[in-house]
Amino acid sequence: MSNKFLIGMWDHEEVFLHAAKHLTHDGVEIHETLTPFPVHGLEHALGYRETRLHTAGFLYGITGTTMALLLMGWIMSVNYPIVFGGKPFFALPSFIPITFELTVLFSAVGMVLTYCTRNKLFPGYVPRIYDPRTTDDRFAFVFDIEGKSEADVAKLRTICESNGAVEIKTKEFKEGDGL
Amino acid sequence: MTEKFQFDSKLKKNLFIAMGLGLVGLVLAFVLYPHNSHSRFWTNILVNSYYFTGIGIFGLFFVAAHQLGYGGWIVLVRRVIMSMSGFVFVGAPLLLLIALLTWGNVHNIYDHWLHVIKHPESLPESMTTKAVFFNLTFWTARIAVYAILWMLFARIITKYFGNITDKRSYKISKLIAAMWIVVFAVSESFVSWDMIMSIDPHWYSTLFGWYNFASYGCGALSFAILLTIYLKSKGYLAQVNENHIHDLGVFLFGFSIFWTYLWFSQYMLQWYANIPEDTMYWVKRAGTGFHTSMFVSLAINFVLPLLVIIKRGAKRNFKTISFVSVMIIIGHHIDFCNMVMYEPNVISTGHGEHGHHALNSNEATALYAENTEAVKEPAAATEHAATDAVTAKPEVKAAESAHVEAHGHEHGSTAKSYAGFGLVEILIFIGFTGVFLYMFFNELSKHPLVNEQDPYFKESQRHHI
Repeated sequence: MSNKFLIGMWDHEEVFLHAAKHLTHDGVEIHETLTPFPVHGLEHALGYRETRLHTAGFLYGITGTTMALLLMGWIMSVNYPIVFGGKPFFALPSFIPITFELTVLFSAVGMVLTYCTRNKLFPGYVPRIYDPRTTDDRFAFVFDIEGKSEADVAKLRTICESNGAVEIKTKEFKEGDGL
Repeated sequence: MTEKFQFDSKLKKNLFIAMGLGLVGLVLAFVLYPHNSHSRFWTNILVNSYYFTGIGIFGLFFVAAHQLGYGGWIVLVRRVIMSMSGFVFVGAPLLLLIALLTWGNVHNIYDHWLHVIKHPESLPESMTTKAVFFNLTFWTARIAVYAILWMLFARIITKYFGNITDKRSYKISKLIAAMWIVVFAVSESFVSWDMIMSIDPHWYSTLFGWYNFASYGCGALSFAILLTIYLKSKGYLAQVNENHIHDLGVFLFGFSIFWTYLWFSQYMLQWYANIPEDTMYWVKRAGTGFHTSMFVSLAINFVLPLLVIIKRGAKRNFKTISFVSVMIIIGHHIDFCNMVMYEPNVISTGHGEHGHHALNSNEATALYAENTEAVKEPAAATEHAATDAVTAKPEVKAAESAHVEAHGHEHGSTAKSYAGFGLVEILIFIGFTGVFLYMFFNELSKHPLVNEQDPYFKESQRHHI
């Protein structure tokens, strides 16, 4: 895991978005992008793939549907059958509302947990703070410069500068700082 | 640049062919099914004019709601959605015609409650509170009022909403939108009770207006998507892109789920409460072919959009969304057939007094028992099962079906249903689609397609989701 980073910071959304397009176009490898708020169109500019979170959500939902139907079906018609209002034991229409609820619950909770895990937002995780101002008024690109030559780093600096970065700095984390 | 749609003769010719097919269908329905005062012919006219008029007025509602809710993205496609109200000038008079023909006993769609009001002594207690509504003069007057209001607002909105240029006209458009939403909400609920729910006056569903509204919504949004894509393919509406179609697709998806929610709420509550008046509606449809069409319409209107257009990419793919739209238009037509067709198309010969009166509970059950060998659907069986199924034994099921069959033979199965979904329904539906599209293109060609002076024009142009 690399510990040495170059951080280029911007102070305007539009300029930052332009820089994102240029950097992606030039094939510069960006380690991390930090913005204080969601920037419209940034994921397209950076060429991110479409998220697969909704596919996970669909699978969780299907699991919820199956669980609900199996559980109710088993209880109501095998384990403890009781006649309610002359309805059949496996009274599907009356199971639908709960099945719906469990589908929503499973997909919602599952997606939240997946999202948090994927973004390392679980308890006990110590994040690496590149610059606290990225939660306030700065937009930043983080470049991994571990093991890169001076010339390469200087080149990165010039690319950032020419694309309107207002501040460029390097930051080194100690081994074991963050996860 | 004020681009206008050119209604060329080739398109007109195609639409006339469709209308011709519809005419053939109407003639066939009239000749082949003379039973019960040609009720299959009349119910088809009712279903189609009701469905397409609903689509037209929903288009007006949709633009009005966006006008009130600051929905700026709609400006580029607004003319397309508004112009669907062109059919209101055919559909509303047709509905009024059906109401007026009731006076001359030309058709028998509303015979069930007409019989009751002609013989007040036979008025069941459950209907006394509804007696005010089942008054032929009041009923016809109500339908006339809806028809006039719809045509009036269709004129006003199509004329005015395309000419919003400054702050003043924008404010007036909001006023019109607010008035129309109130008129629409009330008239749409009432017309669904008056024209569809009253076919069986004993049965009622408190969410029926909403249910029909959701159906209109699915139909109207499907047509809006299809027609926008068609116009784009002809080189019009160059600025409309997949973002606008995506938004319409989101609405289509939402309305489909909303429709399912209402369908299920109606079904489950009546199934669970098990009140004979309520369950009648479902018993009648079971086993007469409409049982299948009920599930077919659920599959098309719920499962298909749920599985196919839930994904972002599918809503932005013109081919996928067009396919789903076509299916949903057909699906909701089937659903409306399911609501309307059954009752007026049944002949009961057991009671000589009235040649074609509507079924009562026992006759319907008999008809059901005759048409199904074994009771498979709990909804149908519960009416009798409620008294029987006190023991929790597997034999209950067999006992149920035996009981129902016994009932059937006891009362004599004298009812015969001519309800169905066949060639004539398809032909008439094609014909009405032709008329609908003709009125749409006719209305569309009168005005510029896009109003570039609209305050929200730029927002719609840059719409990006």
